[in-house]
Amino acid sequence: MTTPELTIPQTHPRVSATLWVGLVLVGLHVAIALLSLVWTPYDPLGMTGGRLEAPSWAHWAGTDRLGRDFFTQIMLGSQIALVVGAGAVAIGGAIGVTLGLLAAFASRWLDDALAATLDILIAFPTLLIAMLVVAASDEANLFTAILAIGIALSAIVARLTRILAKRVLLLDYITAARTSGTSWMGIVLIHVLPNIWPTLAVNFALQFGLAAIAEASLSYLGLGAPPPNASWGHLLQEAQGTVYTAPIGAFAPGLALVILVVGINLLADGLRDVADPTRSAQR
Amino acid sequence: MRPVLDIADLSIAANGKTLLDKVSLSIAPGERVGLIGESGSGKSLTALAAIGLLAPGLTATGAISLDGQDVIGASERSMVSLRGNVTATVFQEPLTALDPLQPVGRQIAEPLRRRLRRDGEAAGRTDVAAGVQNLLAQVALPDPLALSRRYPHELSGGQRQRVAIAMALACRPQLLIADEPTTALDVTTQAEILRLLAKLVADNGMALLFISHDLPVVARVVDRVVVMQHGVVVEAGPVGEVFSRPQHDYTRSLVAAARSFDGALEGAA
Amino acid sequence: MNLLDVNAVDFAYRSDKAVLQQVSFAVEAGASLGIVGESGSGKTTLLRLLLGLSQPSAGSIALNGARVDTRDAGFMRSYRRQVQAVFQDPYSSLDPRRNVFDIIAEPLRSLRVAGNHEDMVGAALDSVGLPQDSLRRYPHQFSGGQRQRIAIARAIVARPQLLLADEAVSALDLTTRVRIVALLQTLAQHMTLVFVSHDLGVVAALCRDIVVLERGRIVEAGRTQDVLGRPKHPYTQALLASVPRMPEGLMP
Repeated sequence: MTTPELTIPQTHPRVSATLWVGLVLVGLHVAIALLSLVWTPYDPLGMTGGRLEAPSWAHWAGTDRLGRDFFTQIMLGSQIALVVGAGAVAIGGAIGVTLGLLAAFASRWLDDALAATLDILIAFPTLLIAMLVVAASDEANLFTAILAIGIALSAIVARLTRILAKRVLLLDYITAARTSGTSWMGIVLIHVLPNIWPTLAVNFALQFGLAAIAEASLSYLGLGAPPPNASWGHLLQEAQGTVYTAPIGAFAPGLALVILVVGINLLADGLRDVADPTRSAQR
Repeated sequence: MRPVLDIADLSIAANGKTLLDKVSLSIAPGERVGLIGESGSGKSLTALAAIGLLAPGLTATGAISLDGQDVIGASERSMVSLRGNVTATVFQEPLTALDPLQPVGRQIAEPLRRRLRRDGEAAGRTDVAAGVQNLLAQVALPDPLALSRRYPHELSGGQRQRVAIAMALACRPQLLIADEPTTALDVTTQAEILRLLAKLVADNGMALLFISHDLPVVARVVDRVVVMQHGVVVEAGPVGEVFSRPQHDYTRSLVAAARSFDGALEGAA
Repeated sequence: MNLLDVNAVDFAYRSDKAVLQQVSFAVEAGASLGIVGESGSGKTTLLRLLLGLSQPSAGSIALNGARVDTRDAGFMRSYRRQVQAVFQDPYSSLDPRRNVFDIIAEPLRSLRVAGNHEDMVGAALDSVGLPQDSLRRYPHQFSGGQRQRIAIARAIVARPQLLLADEAVSALDLTTRVRIVALLQTLAQHMTLVFVSHDLGVVAALCRDIVVLERGRIVEAGRTQDVLGRPKHPYTQALLASVPRMPEGLMP
């Protein structure tokens, strides 16, 4: 038995700068989204200034071609990005974890079949799957966007869950649980999920960012939440025609999306450091 | 005669925690020394330090000289050649020491070619191939030609350890370091590997540093033992003397433990 | 009556050659049996069958005369209640995310054992010689030997009749090994022990009876004293000769 003698003592489970920056960036978005529920600088649909105004003290991000305040719409866009991100990760997580566990516990041929199916699904771009789901339903709305992105993400979650669960299932404490009379469901709930959870959580954070991007792409293509929902993707699409005369219209929603995704990725990285058992658990 | 390995007052610390405290150990050419200790005793750490393979973050003080050259503070470049020329190491789990994607013959050929060039001998393809066959025969592997084309996973645990020993021999080291080389093996295989090691060390005039927690195993292959506990050398001396008249309490408990299982076997017999 | 009857058991993985062939032995209640063999002997497979994790291809295993059927969930529950196990690697046999109480109480909860679980876990902890304040701690806070004690506490907490040990001391340091063997010796006074190992010295110290397995067949069986004292089969002789011993010399 190898007993590594070289365990370099770690001082603390590191709460890194990455985690803090990520928390601040994501927190900023959450705060703005919450604020926009009760207050926005202007009425989002009202003509509050001239058309295509440049940024000013009155209109921080300028106005669009109908003279509506752009910053107000970006604030409202945060709501959609966060709702779609959370919804899609919840759906993708639920389907993906269930399928992944099923495959991990399944008999050899069923596992092989599921694994192959997942590999094929993953080969399809997330956006293509989402477009197929939207096309299959009657109309494009916020819910179809969430469902579509969630289903697309579930294949990635399922594959990860399957690999993680299979690794845990090989360990002696699972055999010990079986000989202790613990049922399969008990083994999943008591042993498998708690041990794979940290890695899954990090992955969910990354998926959240992917979902936000996918939502913007769907809305850009007109397959997301229909107007007057102010999705960032929709804003980008509207700004496309005037990108040379008023570049701020494309720049601002793009920047909002980038800040959110970067923040989430940093958060995920930071979480990984905290969740990594080799950093917190020493013998 | 100058010792092959001379460790004097070696202390190693990590983050202010002392892992080794003033360890001294010297091995003369051709001498066979056992380094005994349980997990956490610092025995493997001592061996790693001896060949300049300390993990980053560890600070070593004291003196280590390998074939007369200082190890502490030596550049990695000079250590690489020193490691290859003076020492070779055999580890507990041969599977991790071998490359899974290369036939074993090629893996033995690599250090052999290096050594032939170093010694200014012919290192052409046929020379190396003949050398590999010779080494495989030395470690008593049957049908060397067929075996050299096989991959590590196609061999048994005992065969893999023989291949690892052949790789070590290819360097023709002055000092062979064996870190728990038989712990992962079956009893009958272990007995064969120990016999083989003893024979090869004697035939090639190598010195041996044999690291193990298993006293009877150590007793089979070494002349002298050094007993470590919690990073400190607690006792050292000729193996017969230490095992029959242990002075330190810890050594006494180890010897008593080993003898209790021997006793159970004798009682059964 | 025998506690455990293993009767002409064969086992083969799909389309592979037989791993176990015509394995038969019996264990009396209160006895201790060592199953000895090297890699490829089939001892790990035999242990899986005894644990009720696989079903023999042919032949039968019976506990107290009742035949083991892994598909009969009701029977398996009562079987698990009577048969518990300790595994080789104390680092992988404990779930790192559960505290010691939850680990030891798992059989009580899963098998719905009646009684005060806290008292029963406390008693088990006592019998393996660990302090009561261990209960709220986690596996990584313990040494290898202490972890193996926790694993043993889990195996005895439901008071099984049969304790199966799979190389339960092989991964431990020598001095720790002596202490765990002593603990198992004490426990074996109150329950039946089947100890699977490649280590003849430990089996000699622990087990009254012995079965020697070679390539899926029993080559020799009987009282440990007789088998190791006068080994008849060449394989047993070779095994015995291979065990490294302390050098002869002045005894301290």
